[in-house]
Amino acid sequence: MSKYVIETRNLTKQYGAQKSVARLNIHVQKGRIYGLLGRNGAGKTTTMKMLLGLTQPTSGEVAIWGKPLAANEKKLLPRIGSLIESPGFYPNLTATENLRIFATLRGVPNRNAIKNALDLVGLPYKDRKLFSQYSLGMKQRLAIALAIMHDPELLILDEPINGLDPIGIAEVRSFIRNLCNERGKTILISSHILSEIALLADDIGIIDHGTLLEEESLEELETKSSKHIRFTVSDTAQAARILERSFHENQFTIQDDHNMRLHNLNISIGKIVTAFVENGLEVSQAATSEESLEDYFKRVTGGEGIA
Amino acid sequence: MLRLICCEFAKLKRKKFIWLVGLSAFLFPVPLTALMTMPQTAGQYDSKIDIFNDYFQFVMGYGVELLLPCVIGVMAAILFFMERDNDTFKNLRTIPITSTQMIFAKIIVLFFFGIIFSLASALISILCGGMIAEVNSIAYRLFFALEMGIFITAGTLPLVVLVVFFSKNYVFSVLLCVFYSVLSLTAESSFGALPKVICWLMPIPFTTLWSAGNLTAHGAMDGVGMLEYLIPTTFETIIILAVVALLSVILVDYMYKKRGDE
Repeated sequence: MSKYVIETRNLTKQYGAQKSVARLNIHVQKGRIYGLLGRNGAGKTTTMKMLLGLTQPTSGEVAIWGKPLAANEKKLLPRIGSLIESPGFYPNLTATENLRIFATLRGVPNRNAIKNALDLVGLPYKDRKLFSQYSLGMKQRLAIALAIMHDPELLILDEPINGLDPIGIAEVRSFIRNLCNERGKTILISSHILSEIALLADDIGIIDHGTLLEEESLEELETKSSKHIRFTVSDTAQAARILERSFHENQFTIQDDHNMRLHNLNISIGKIVTAFVENGLEVSQAATSEESLEDYFKRVTGGEGIA
Repeated sequence: MLRLICCEFAKLKRKKFIWLVGLSAFLFPVPLTALMTMPQTAGQYDSKIDIFNDYFQFVMGYGVELLLPCVIGVMAAILFFMERDNDTFKNLRTIPITSTQMIFAKIIVLFFFGIIFSLASALISILCGGMIAEVNSIAYRLFFALEMGIFITAGTLPLVVLVVFFSKNYVFSVLLCVFYSVLSLTAESSFGALPKVICWLMPIPFTTLWSAGNLTAHGAMDGVGMLEYLIPTTFETIIILAVVALLSVILVDYMYKKRGDE
């Protein structure tokens, strides 16, 4: 039994000469919300399409519940609920009629499944309003209802809050959280809005130009982006020994041979620099950093684009 | 598959064109009834049975052989563009429903409409014919209409291939349908001049030849004269149209799969 609900191995999608997704390795754990964060065009939707078999990867593999998707679509897909890109429904039918079509095709046994799904997203059951008359927010709610109607174990939601008003966003956020906390669903959600991912996700994958730049828990990322003292020294291994020996300090992270971060801001920078110099280290930089989560993401992705 | 077919019908709810399909079944029988009652027309016949025989031929010839391919072509455009236009293909694929299953369901719906249209045309001609002439061989004519509905729909599947291949808007599809019907009609009017292989390779003219032979064999038509050598047997008709239909389905499936991967 695999440790991960979703695991990709060097997943790549190439359109002509352009790589939309390049050697992507993501790991989604059971019962957690994984936020795939990236700018528009970063490769989030293409990744999700490959996870659902809607697009065939150029190379690499998708494993869901430890089984390769390509060979097990019939067994795996019925256990997944999804929302990809814009909501797709028949405009000449009502919400209930639309859901009934997909419930029939899925063979949903629960007679109240349609009503329950519509109730959950706040849409009326057996309303006469046609899908073509729906607002963008209502269409998005209906797409979420379709994704959850058959009570799937895994949800793959591509930008689910698109088109929703602020109250709708809060409702959907709370309902996604509840699906995970109360019903134990595993959820993969994509967004270009950092605050949304930060509010919802347990684990975060940052994707840019089709490449996964970081994959960590929100906790780890918050630690990384919290206040710290940044040192650039001639030898970080020796600097670490000095911190442990002279200051009894172990709250630091070594980034490479010359850069390290100290997360305890209660120690005087001057005293540390003096200790380093007295022990023969060259110190070329020592500064307090107040990088926010947003600054961190901007730095990692190399610029603007994540709201 | 039955679920899928039922859902294809459910998707057509409130589509006004479906009502037009029903109404178009009356398009030829009603004016032809009026035409056959005119003295200069009715006077040409020796008996009321002859009037009905010719009237039935006209209805099946114009209504089914000319109009039905257009109706099927437009229906195909509605059915096959539906998932593309509404972006619902992804919802179906993730159920999962394969493109092959979807295509089979849509083609079965086309056959259903083809049969209903043909039977409706025959029924209307029997009802209207009862008012102006002497109706005969009702059971045979209904069975003939059933066969015609199946054969014409199968013969229209190459048009469906073109509609899916070009995947343009509905106007372009209608133009393709009209072109297909006119081309078939032109071939039918050149039966004596065209080589047999061409007549047999064009599905609608080929079906027309079969229908002429079948009506003659059942005494519902005077004869086919010089065209006797062109008339296929029912077995030959089934085999050739089945091959045409099968090839068309394979091509549509290939195009659907290819576009789904893009």
